[in-house]
Amino acid sequence: MKISDIMKRDVVSVTASATIGQAVDLFVARRIGTLPVVDEANRLVGMLLLSDVLELVMPDFVRMIEDLDFVHDFGAVETQKPSQAILARSTAAVMKKPVSVEETAGLLRAVAMLRQHNLRDLPIVADDGRLVGIASRVDVGAALLVSWGISRSSNTTATGGT
Amino acid sequence: MIPGILSILIFAVSLGLILSEKVHRTIVAIVGAVVAVGVGKILNFYSEAEALKAIDFNTLGLLLGMMMIVAMLEPTGFFQYLAVSAGRLSRGNPVWLFMLLGALTSVVSMFLDNVTTVVLIAPVTVLITEILGVSAIPFLLGEAILSNVGGVATLVGDPPNVLIGSAAGLSFNDFLTHALPLVAVVWLVALWLLRYLFRAELDAPPANLEAVMKMNPTEALEDWKTARRVLIILGAAVALFFVQEPLRLTPALIALGAAAAALAWTRPNMHELFKRIEWSVLMFFAGLFVMVGGLEAAGVMHALAGLVAQAQGMPMVLFGVIVLWVVALASAVVDNVPITIALIPVIQGLGAAGVEAAPLWWALAFGAGFGGNGTIIGATANVVVASLSERMSTPITSALWNKRGLPTMLATCVVTTILYVLFFPLFRG
Repeated sequence: MKISDIMKRDVVSVTASATIGQAVDLFVARRIGTLPVVDEANRLVGMLLLSDVLELVMPDFVRMIEDLDFVHDFGAVETQKPSQAILARSTAAVMKKPVSVEETAGLLRAVAMLRQHNLRDLPIVADDGRLVGIASRVDVGAALLVSWGISRSSNTTATGGT
Repeated sequence: MIPGILSILIFAVSLGLILSEKVHRTIVAIVGAVVAVGVGKILNFYSEAEALKAIDFNTLGLLLGMMMIVAMLEPTGFFQYLAVSAGRLSRGNPVWLFMLLGALTSVVSMFLDNVTTVVLIAPVTVLITEILGVSAIPFLLGEAILSNVGGVATLVGDPPNVLIGSAAGLSFNDFLTHALPLVAVVWLVALWLLRYLFRAELDAPPANLEAVMKMNPTEALEDWKTARRVLIILGAAVALFFVQEPLRLTPALIALGAAAAALAWTRPNMHELFKRIEWSVLMFFAGLFVMVGGLEAAGVMHALAGLVAQAQGMPMVLFGVIVLWVVALASAVVDNVPITIALIPVIQGLGAAGVEAAPLWWALAFGAGFGGNGTIIGATANVVVASLSERMSTPITSALWNKRGLPTMLATCVVTTILYVLFFPLFRG
């Protein structure tokens, strides 16, 4: 089975000039975790992850202390919000380099890409680089499990969000 | 003449490159050492055997031993436990927190080197200040300065002391009787001055006090079993340092012995442990030793000592004060380790020429130790807190350091000078 057989074709994406604030709206409205960033020809140029946006309010100590079990209350930083200036920046400033596979990619290869890049969602592009679909870790993983032939359910088409 | 000029050139170019920070200092030290030996062999004034002899293995052994002990203690969360306890003890009062963390940093840095101390305490400091909702800057800058100050108090507290102790034959107890009382006074001055300079930040009421009290220090201590074992051995090592002279033990043997005992008792993963050892620091030292050995073999140090000895007749106390300030000002802009390694043979040469060396060793130790506080690049601990703060919303800038650190450095050096002059007879013995 190929990735194009199971991918979602209705992809929510933004352009690099969209602001982080606009991206935040899309994350909330569509309940997604990954926003592919495309140019005017719909070619994939980057990805904006929900986790990268959350990183904007992550306190510094989280990156410095390995085991945070002993901190039971984040106190003053618990209610920290990004400033208007940060929300007005373009997604280009925060986005990651894109990771994608072609439509003909196999499912195991897609799982390996997600694993290697530690991603939740994998954009799928056509030969000319145009964004044509997206598949989540659950979409690809469940489809691969079905191919083992031991599950009674055979619903391989993605329906839910990512 | 030519060997002397070439050795000076090699050392000067290396020092310039280390200063410029364009090339990693350890690369400079290794290349410089190899060039020094190569030139020495061609011109027949410096051999491999002499180069090996120039490396002070007592210094390297002591540093390596202490590094291994810290590497075993660090993952246990023991230092995290201490810093979190200090946070709770302060009840969220920024001034108390500043004093408690400062005191903790100084005491820890008396036994561990300054950089390690700061690396261990600073993350928890950022944690406490962030959940309190106060600026981390006074705390981080203060910790770097107070760890540099605390390190001067003991033989093992910072690398210049290790070098000086080894070269001058000063024992752990010598530092406790000469350096510790002076450091205690200087420490109070530094703490008071920093508290005053940061009054605006420290007097601002914290946004959230309760969160600090909800931290649980015992949960921060990940592995008490290992921590207890390493601490018992560390305690035994400190006890041995006290009786080092009558037992005729070198500090290196004590430190490596303690590391060996702790390794055997806790049996850590050696691959993980060795990742925590700063091999590049040890190689940097070795390279510098070899380069300075070349200067010595070429007769440069002897000639320099002869020049300085011309100034005979100058009162020893004035000579000491001059050394203290020259070293302090130089240490504010250059790493104090190369300065110390370069000056050791000069003072040894002066001693051989009949000049009283004892007070000069102390002047060197105090100058190198307190001088580094003057600028953001003056000491490695400063660089560490500055680079840590670069990821934060308000980083520590060089300009800020000049406004807070430089006055503190000058004040500590003035106080040191007064005490040095008043108690000069003590530093002769």
